[in-house]
Amino acid sequence: MNAPIIDPLQGDFPEVIEEYLEHGNMKCIAFNRRGTLLAAGCADGSCVIWDFETKGVAKELHDKDCVAPITSVCWSKYGHQLLASATDKSLTLWNVLNGEKVARITLQQTTLHARLHPGSSTPSLCLACPLSSAPILVDLNTGSSTVLPVSVSDPSNGGPAPHPRNKFSDGSPPFTPTAATFNKRGDLIYVGNSKGEILIVDSKSIQVLAMVPISGGAVVKDIIFSRNGQYLLTNSNDRVIRVYENLLPPKDAAKELEALNNNNNNNDYKGAMKLKVTGSKCLLLFREFQDAVTKIQWKAPCFSGDGEWIVGASANKGEHKLYIWDRAGHLVKILEGPKEALIDLAWHPVHPVIVSVSVAGLVYIWAKDHIENWSAFAPDFKELEENEEYVEREDEFDLNPDPEPVKELDIDQDEEVDILAVEKDTAFSDSDASQEELIFLPAIPSPDEPEQQDKCIGSSSKLEDSNHSDSPFSVDAVQNPAMPTASSPLEVVDNSAAEEAAAATNMKRKRKPSVKGLELQAEKGRKPIATKAKPSGKSSKAKNKNGDGSALEIEDDVTDDNL
Amino acid sequence: MQIGLNIIPIPDNAINKKQNPAPTLPSKTLPLTSSSPAPMASAADASGEDAAAAAILPPYELRATLSGHKRAVSAAKFSPDGSLLASASADKTLRIYSAHSLSLLAELSPAHGEGISDLAFSSDARLLCSASDDRSLRLWDLAAPGNPTLLKTLIGHTNYAFCCAFNPQSNLVASGSFDETVRVWEVRSGRCLRVLPAHSEPVTAVDFDRDGALIVSGSYDGLCRVWDSGTGHCVKTLIDDESPPVSFAKFSPNGKFVLASTLDSTLRLWNYSAGKFLKIYNGHVNKKFCIPAAFSITNGKYIVSGSEDNCVYLWDLQTRKIVQRLEGHTDTVIAVSCHPKENMIASGALGNDKTVKVWVQKEEDQMIKWKSK
Repeated sequence: MNAPIIDPLQGDFPEVIEEYLEHGNMKCIAFNRRGTLLAAGCADGSCVIWDFETKGVAKELHDKDCVAPITSVCWSKYGHQLLASATDKSLTLWNVLNGEKVARITLQQTTLHARLHPGSSTPSLCLACPLSSAPILVDLNTGSSTVLPVSVSDPSNGGPAPHPRNKFSDGSPPFTPTAATFNKRGDLIYVGNSKGEILIVDSKSIQVLAMVPISGGAVVKDIIFSRNGQYLLTNSNDRVIRVYENLLPPKDAAKELEALNNNNNNNDYKGAMKLKVTGSKCLLLFREFQDAVTKIQWKAPCFSGDGEWIVGASANKGEHKLYIWDRAGHLVKILEGPKEALIDLAWHPVHPVIVSVSVAGLVYIWAKDHIENWSAFAPDFKELEENEEYVEREDEFDLNPDPEPVKELDIDQDEEVDILAVEKDTAFSDSDASQEELIFLPAIPSPDEPEQQDKCIGSSSKLEDSNHSDSPFSVDAVQNPAMPTASSPLEVVDNSAAEEAAAATNMKRKRKPSVKGLELQAEKGRKPIATKAKPSGKSSKAKNKNGDGSALEIEDDVTDDNL
Repeated sequence: MQIGLNIIPIPDNAINKKQNPAPTLPSKTLPLTSSSPAPMASAADASGEDAAAAAILPPYELRATLSGHKRAVSAAKFSPDGSLLASASADKTLRIYSAHSLSLLAELSPAHGEGISDLAFSSDARLLCSASDDRSLRLWDLAAPGNPTLLKTLIGHTNYAFCCAFNPQSNLVASGSFDETVRVWEVRSGRCLRVLPAHSEPVTAVDFDRDGALIVSGSYDGLCRVWDSGTGHCVKTLIDDESPPVSFAKFSPNGKFVLASTLDSTLRLWNYSAGKFLKIYNGHVNKKFCIPAAFSITNGKYIVSGSEDNCVYLWDLQTRKIVQRLEGHTDTVIAVSCHPKENMIASGALGNDKTVKVWVQKEEDQMIKWKSK
């Protein structure tokens, strides 16, 4: 999406909380494929679709039947549908565009994670990982479900002895939580079981085709593919995140696996051993990530959009801490958030942006700390690393310098220019041209109340949040480092929560009407400072201390002028 | 060009307006300088020769003259889907026409408290945004084009709102103002998301690129700046050795180039990522007003612009030769727009004229051309 002009060097990992989203009590999140929309499941059973570009609520999905807290949300490949699982054991499939319920079924158990089949734009098949039983494949149209195998039938050759830390090491499948995921095409399902094995299951025949034992043999809590499908990540109870390289081809992985198995038939391997041999040709352990010192448990690990980085959150109580590793295995950054435990995490598909959900139901957006590129403002100025001694030209200060040589136009104006052709976006090369992707929800604003017309901006302020749900996080504006302090008039209204203060400044402003040009100058001068003053990695609370002073002043000007 | 033109401050009448609550003319329809020389006949003569040398075939001809505005027209645009044509005027009204039949569908009178300087359609032509000297922008719902309803008033600019643009996703509106800032607004809520401290003189043009990732702004301060719309960071500034006031800027259809007009009667096509211009188009007269230009891509590729000699100029994109001058207006042509699918150009002119004219390539000629292919 970014044009090439945008500095490629900025494309790494986030560093600071840029802003936060507030809308009800959000529990889990998921980006659509392009990262233009962010879905969040709430504690009241509704789902919110955020327009990630404007950070405004684009859609709310709710229904009288859906009142239980949402445990997971998942987009269909082209973003037309959203699957939500809830603690009332239900799975609900929503049509995102019109906000209507497509299907709703109730299972035997509460689903912790539900994933839609990635192969089709209107998938009916989904993979549900319940709280305490084997993962099931559910057909949302018919309601029929198939329980996936979670262990290999031949136990004699089974994996290593269960890890002593496993809480579910009694080996009874019905009470074992298991993680499972589709591969990129959806023809295979990768199941991580309680014995610390990855089973590769054909999603059509439901046959275990291969098995990969994980060293340590601890319960697998999460199993996640990178966006391009080349890497698989597991998070085990032994406090290690493991990254595997996927050796199967992206296309027809199931067929390839079938062929591997057939080859092995010629050998003497049998049962689990045979599956293990096949498994060794499917996944190759690539890296292990752990904190050798604190030995913390990990939560919600995932890949960055480009697969270059791996992020995991500390599962310690009350901690909002993100660990970012590069793929070579180095820990590159620890981000510490507010003192609210983290419950979910997602990396933006294309940008160096992470969003994390806190136990308080807020969504924090982590982004790169921006360094102003001053030479972008004034191309004829050069930014210097350090001081340089300037050596003047011989005739530089002569009263009658030699006429400057006429500058030659080094531009061939007859060269053909192509104003139409566009390159294909490589980040989404797997897009099927015949499929129309739902990237944006149409923005049709609701009309202003006529009598409020002049106060329309105020009406969307937090103070009147209950009536106007559209912009629940107006306080963020100051927090956004990208925004100069005078960003929006919203803050004024917000700030006027402390009415006296606002009134006082208003008064001041009236007594001393200043020239606009001066104000703008002042605003510009202040801007870099304001950028620095933004709270670093702290929540909104910091904002009131830092941002307000300068914001108030300018904002008042703005509103005054409108009066 | 006049040296130091770019340091001439906001026109006197504009400053007067700031103090005077009842301005007489909207900013767009006022010239930048009051001391400009009379239009140069020589330029027009030269272009006449050019037109003879290279011509567009078949030539554009006047299809209709749409009158109705009581004062200068300030903007006339086709909707991106090609269904509508809208015009804005100093008389505070907006007029919406069917682009096919050119019948008047609606007149919003008054649409604003002061004269209107610019308008923009959302990608699906469902919404229309208007920018006015009353410092506000307004969003209109065109679900029923015959009965537009006011949805939002975007308040925040501290001086005339001069130009506006939707991003292709149409969830954002960018606006440029005499307060020297560019503001980015969320369409859904009408919130101001960002204020870009863009320029040191009035902002005359804003545009989004084709995927909405970049914003270009142009200003009287002689600069064109390119912004990352997601973060609000300035990513590039376009400047030549001289910097006459930039009166208009827009991205090429593929978003790789910026077409910028300057008040030295010059249009430049910039490769903005390299910071170099590739082509210069001149021959028209543009020294006072913010006259937009357009890419015509429906039948060959042309640059189209208005001119202060009351004509619409068409240049061949590649050869930079003037291929046609459309004569008919009786005042400066301050608005041009190309239909996205058909060979149709709309133009609007200032107070002596007050009309919108629609120009087309004659169908019969087209048929012959197609047959001959």
